[in-house]
Order: sequence, then structure tokens, then C-alpha cells
Amino acid sequence: MLPILVHFRIRKDGNRPFGFYFPVILIWIILAALLLVLLPFVLLAAALTWRRGPGRLLLLVYPMMASILWHLSGLHIETKNIENEILIDFQ
Amino acid sequence: MNEEKRRILDLLAQGKITVDEAERLLAAIGEPAAETGTEAAGHRSWKYLRVQVEPGPGSEKGDRVNIRVPFKLIRAGLKFAAFIPQGAQGPINEALKEKGMNVDFSKISPQDLEDLIVNLDDLTVDVEGKDKVRIYCE
Repeated sequence: MLPILVHFRIRKDGNRPFGFYFPVILIWIILAALLLVLLPFVLLAAALTWRRGPGRLLLLVYPMMASILWHLSGLHIETKNIENEILIDFQ
Repeated sequence: MNEEKRRILDLLAQGKITVDEAERLLAAIGEPAAETGTEAAGHRSWKYLRVQVEPGPGSEKGDRVNIRVPFKLIRAGLKFAAFIPQGAQGPINEALKEKGMNVDFSKISPQDLEDLIVNLDDLTVDVEGKDKVRIYCE
């Protein structure tokens, strides 16, 4: 499932932690639009380089990127010590 | 349990053969593969790789780490590693070695991940009394 929100929390040098939720789906929309604009160029590059090999890899970039972004949901990274804290949580 | 079946299950427990290979060997000697099939199904239902670091009594900064990574993300990332140019893999391996990870990045395959999932139960490592590292699947 594509993550919709990402929870950030940062605390540095023992200060009060600063946290917020960011609607990461906005990033996905912008990224999708950018990839759509680049698609004709990628297809052209893939066609031109098909025989030499890189063309096949170029065609796989889109589904692989989609696979990575789709499975980001559930990724939770949290480190903390006495002074510092970082939390990144894709929901 | 006969000797051949025990040997196959020992090899599977040591990670020297995969679940699929164990099934084929058991079938070849005429034994049902129900046990390994059930075990593999249980392992395949695991969704996340968890890494937890808890500070020990000797820890100075009290570092705590809690990481949960979806296995599907790891599998997708491993496939993406195929895009790394051959010439860049050497410097990546060198950089990992400098950080203390002696891993050949180009040789990690999705099958290695499956083998890791099958054999990883619950691993706890006590690092010199300072930190406790726990790695498990859930």
C-alpha cells in the first residue's frame, strides 16, 4: 500500500523534540507527473539502446521505482540517545 | 526419524540448503515434505525485519535504535541494485568495508534474502556489555 503520511520527529542537543506529519502523497503526485513527462524520452532512450543492453534496464526503472515506493509503507526508523532523537515513520 | 531425513533437516537448519532443495530431497527419499512446507509458509508470512538496539549497563550515550523494514521493500531494493553500474560496485564495496561491513554488494541476491528469512529466528547479540542488538522477523 502506498504510504500517505510520513511522521517526522527530530530532537537535537537535548532540546524539545520537533515533530510533524507530512502528507507524502503530495510528493507521489508530483513524482508521478514528472515521470509521466519524462516517459517519452525514456522510451526513446530505451529504443535507441535496446540492442546494446541498457534499453531493457531503462524500461524496468518505472516498475521498480513504483515497487519501492509502494512498499515504503510500514518503514519505521527510530534512533535516540540522551541528546538526540530521529524518527521517520511511513504510514 | 531416519538418518537421511535427519541429515536433510540438519542441512536446512544450518542454512546450507534452501527450503525448496530440502523439499526436493525429502521427496526423493520418499518422505513427506509437510513439515518444511509449513515452516516455509510461516516464514513467508513474516512481513517485517526488525532491528532493535538497547543500551547496556556500560553504554555511555544510551543509544536506542528501533528499525522496522518491510521485507517487500528489501526485495524491491535488491532488484534495484541491478541498476548499479559495474564500475560503481567496487567503490561501494570499499565504502562499506570502511564502515566495517565486509560485504560484496554485487553478490547479494533475492535468494540470499529468502535464505536469511528461513534461517533467522530471533538473534540477540550482546556487544561487550554496552549494547544489546536484537534482530528478528515479525
